[in-house]
Amino acid sequence: MSGVGLLLPVVVPMLAAVAVPFLLNKGKKIIRWFIIGVVFFNLLINWITIHSLNTRMFHIWKLNTFIDIFLKVDELGIMFSFLVSILWIFTTFYAIGYMDHEEHQERFFAFFIMTLGITNGIAYSGNLFTLYIFYEFLTLATYPLVIHAETEEALHSGRKYLIYSLGGATFILLGMILLYTLTFDLSFVEGGLASLKHIDKKQLMLMIYITIFLGFGVKAALVPFHSWLAAAMVAPTPVSALLHAVAVVKSGVFALLRLCYYVFGAEVVERIEGNLYISFLILTTILLGSLLALHQDNLKKRLAYSTISQLGYILLGIVIINQNALIGGILHLINHAVIKITLFFCVGAIYIATKKKYIHEIRGIGREMPVIMWCFAIASFSLIGIPPSNGFVSKWYLALGGLGANKAIFAVLLMLSAFLTAGYLLPIVVTAFFQSPDQEEEETLVVSRYMTAPIVILTGVIVFLGLFPNTIIRYIEGIVSKLI
Amino acid sequence: MNVIKMFPVVIILLLLLTAFGLPIVKKKKIVFQISLATIFIAFVMSGVTLNYVTQVGDYLLRIGPYDIPWGITFRIGYIEALMAMLFTGVSLMVGWYGVYSIHKDIEEKHIKYYYLLLHILLASLLGIVFTNDLFNGYVFVEATTLSSCGLIIIKNNKSTSKATFKYLIMSVLGSGLLLMGIAFLYAVTGHLNIGEVHRELVKVAAEKHNIVVISLSLLLVGLGVKGAMFPLHTWLPDAHSSAPSTSSALLSSLVLKAPVVFLIKIMYQVYGLDIIHTTPIFTILLILGLAGMILGSIFAINQKEIKRVIAYSTVAQMGYIFFGMGLGTEMGLMVSLFHVFAHALTKAMLFLCVGSMMEQSGYKYKDEFRGIGKEMPVTLGAFTLGALSMVGIPIFPGFISKWYYSIATINAGQYIFLGFILVSSLLNAVYYFPIVINGYFGKDNVKGKIYRAKYKPVKEVLPLAVLAIAMVMISGYSSTLLEYFKFGLNLK
Amino acid sequence: MQNLVINYYDTAAMILFGVGFMTLLLNNNLIKKIIGMNIMDTSIFLFFIVKGYIQGNRAPIYESMADGGAHFINPLPSALMLTGIVVAVSTTAFALALTIRIHDVYGTIELDEVIEKRRTGYERH
Repeated sequence: MSGVGLLLPVVVPMLAAVAVPFLLNKGKKIIRWFIIGVVFFNLLINWITIHSLNTRMFHIWKLNTFIDIFLKVDELGIMFSFLVSILWIFTTFYAIGYMDHEEHQERFFAFFIMTLGITNGIAYSGNLFTLYIFYEFLTLATYPLVIHAETEEALHSGRKYLIYSLGGATFILLGMILLYTLTFDLSFVEGGLASLKHIDKKQLMLMIYITIFLGFGVKAALVPFHSWLAAAMVAPTPVSALLHAVAVVKSGVFALLRLCYYVFGAEVVERIEGNLYISFLILTTILLGSLLALHQDNLKKRLAYSTISQLGYILLGIVIINQNALIGGILHLINHAVIKITLFFCVGAIYIATKKKYIHEIRGIGREMPVIMWCFAIASFSLIGIPPSNGFVSKWYLALGGLGANKAIFAVLLMLSAFLTAGYLLPIVVTAFFQSPDQEEEETLVVSRYMTAPIVILTGVIVFLGLFPNTIIRYIEGIVSKLI
Repeated sequence: MNVIKMFPVVIILLLLLTAFGLPIVKKKKIVFQISLATIFIAFVMSGVTLNYVTQVGDYLLRIGPYDIPWGITFRIGYIEALMAMLFTGVSLMVGWYGVYSIHKDIEEKHIKYYYLLLHILLASLLGIVFTNDLFNGYVFVEATTLSSCGLIIIKNNKSTSKATFKYLIMSVLGSGLLLMGIAFLYAVTGHLNIGEVHRELVKVAAEKHNIVVISLSLLLVGLGVKGAMFPLHTWLPDAHSSAPSTSSALLSSLVLKAPVVFLIKIMYQVYGLDIIHTTPIFTILLILGLAGMILGSIFAINQKEIKRVIAYSTVAQMGYIFFGMGLGTEMGLMVSLFHVFAHALTKAMLFLCVGSMMEQSGYKYKDEFRGIGKEMPVTLGAFTLGALSMVGIPIFPGFISKWYYSIATINAGQYIFLGFILVSSLLNAVYYFPIVINGYFGKDNVKGKIYRAKYKPVKEVLPLAVLAIAMVMISGYSSTLLEYFKFGLNLK
Repeated sequence: MQNLVINYYDTAAMILFGVGFMTLLLNNNLIKKIIGMNIMDTSIFLFFIVKGYIQGNRAPIYESMADGGAHFINPLPSALMLTGIVVAVSTTAFALALTIRIHDVYGTIELDEVIEKRRTGYERH
């Protein structure tokens, strides 16, 4: 069977997850090394899969033309799976340091690594149906991670997460079925399915588009389906960082990319004016996310609302339908992932060292944890969009795209929300560095090396990508040029 | 080759003969062995029959030396052979499970009667499926009713007494209507053999339109009572929840299905699509199916006892099957038959899991099962698989059913109902997931529970595991199954 | 209307069916329900058997070897209804046994009282 190697990135992590319960009696250390080994191995097999396979497609299971599960490698998929794999490695180290203080580590790591396999599956899905299947599995695999603490609050948030996700999945299924009856094909084709270009049922196509968009939008925290994300902050920080700033929400965005450019295609979306209707929701998302973030005192919740707002940026880049905007959007997908993960890691480190969760509690903590707070500060500047950080580059492209679409409102909006972003991030930095703490603390607090190292390295990546963004930009340009 | 043709009759005879041989056996162990061996042989023979049918096509089997139209014939085709495999297979698993657990529900001396009833039940179910004669079908339906009542009341307490009586009365009502419907058909066509009735009916359908409608309605209501069609399902929650677990499994998965298969055969082979389209029957089926789908789930949400939750879930799933029939297209029918398969396996497994959990913990109310996941992880795991299938998570047969139902609905042009199908699947999550979640997670739930404390030995859990595996395999073989159903229906 | 009178057997069967059905459905006393069930089944047997009647022909019993089949009524329905009667009898027997069991357990055979007892005096098993 040619192309079976494509299965590896998906299946190996899942098998590893199943193996974890059997390693229970060997001790925590063994489990940790096992997981570290698996994530590195995963990166390796991703690399090999991409470069040495001749065939780039593999049918897992084909029942008939409806139910056809297959994996396919293309540039967008490679980009996403690499992003995810690399960030997973960082998170593994961070989690090892963080989870030292929590129970049920085996369960955590088992589902943690399983989610990696599923996310790889999402990245390499060859058609909408396969994507839908992995999407459902993603919800199921991340649920135990969300309710890890098993408190009343955790179970409640978990229930909210399930309800929103399953509801969204129902929307997707509905739209998918209707789409199938129109086109009899659900595969991803660059530039959109050929059959859709010739179909003239505007109302129906618009409805299908909006239905599936809303369905995937639940995971991408589109307003009004965003409230699960803030509630999910009850999970341990590695989960919030990786899953709710990277894997889960970016999977939603990734799926929307596939929907707009690989199923419908840019010209069809413009023709049915799908982007017009959705853009209202997206604008609301960007603004509402930022405004709500301003009101939060809980650090993680503030970052969660910030994520909602930033995802709005990415979605905006997707629906403006021009080259620059799309480049900006995809670039921001990568950049925001790196930035947000760094921010969350810092916040988590603060919690582990001091048990403090609220902004008013962390006055002057900059003096006690200088490294962490400096990294936080740099990441914040990047998110606001101050050069020479990678956040600046992606926002630049988005602004260019907005102007290019002759809609000045987009550029104005970007400026406005940049101010708002500063408004909710800078106070944290200021409080940490320039305010005096309630009690006098003398020594700097020590944080485990496992946690500090990823934070510092990621901050370095942020700066690096800000100074030398060109390789990635060129790669993205390669993708985008085939889409628009 | 002629020997293989006789297999269906041999199966039924074998089951009946061993049934009546069981009470004279003294040792319990031998009872189990004989029973399981017989059902296993029946299963293998059904498999051989299926294989034969795939090579040769469907055939008629004459019972006794009298030809049509005076004698009774069996018609063995794809559908019949597949259903036979399903019934014998599930019975085998349930019977096997019963070996380890039935003594907890009924007295020792009644165990052999339990297996006697099981044999008779299985034989009559198979008879319903195979028969090509209307009255013969009626007789087998009655036999099914009586033996299933026996399987419930064999557990001797207050709840079962009332539940069985309710079931019996409603069933008898149904049978009466069924027989009346058959009487009308006989009055108009003068035959009882399905093929013959069809030939004659086609000739007189136009002028005797009233008779067609009346007889079809009577048959529908009569078999609908037995198949728990909304609103004739009221006997089901009591009966299925108070019966011993193995009986519940059989009742929900098999006893409900055979009358429905009989109804499908009657509708499509006696009347035929064209005639039925001149009546409002399809619309009625559609609406009642929808009502069952939605209301079954809604009722389930409010139930306190765990077995009643699953019983109402059965009502909802039967709603799907009636909905598929009501679509009036070949595809709708194929999906309904597939759903029969999928639901039979899933529900049997669910009831066995619940039975196992109830036995080991002594609880009955769903709120009491918190933390059971820690004590019985594998059993709750199998339950989770069943729940996921009910909700319609991909790779499970529930999803395949849902998908095909949607396609069939669209093909039949009834877009509106798409939403109902999807909403109903989602509703399933509302009452299944809390059981799973409270079982595995939740600090308060799991406090004080010892890991694997109530764990059952492997050999007792094996039947569950086999059913779970079969369930997942069904989704793999779904396209083959659907093809077979299409051949079996053979609609012109 | 005229048809109803001409086919008076069928009409009678229908009426009996209705009577039996209603008795089965609406009566509280379990024994009466069983009686209703029997009436209903019997009416169907009547309906069926009547279908076999051919005017002017006689009972299908061979009196001598030379008899042909041309002057007999249709024997098939009668034969079939024998089976039906057996089924009805077995169901009746089962229902009666069940009634005895209910009487043992609840002390009454009136259905409304049984329901009342279940609701109020329900002990957990």
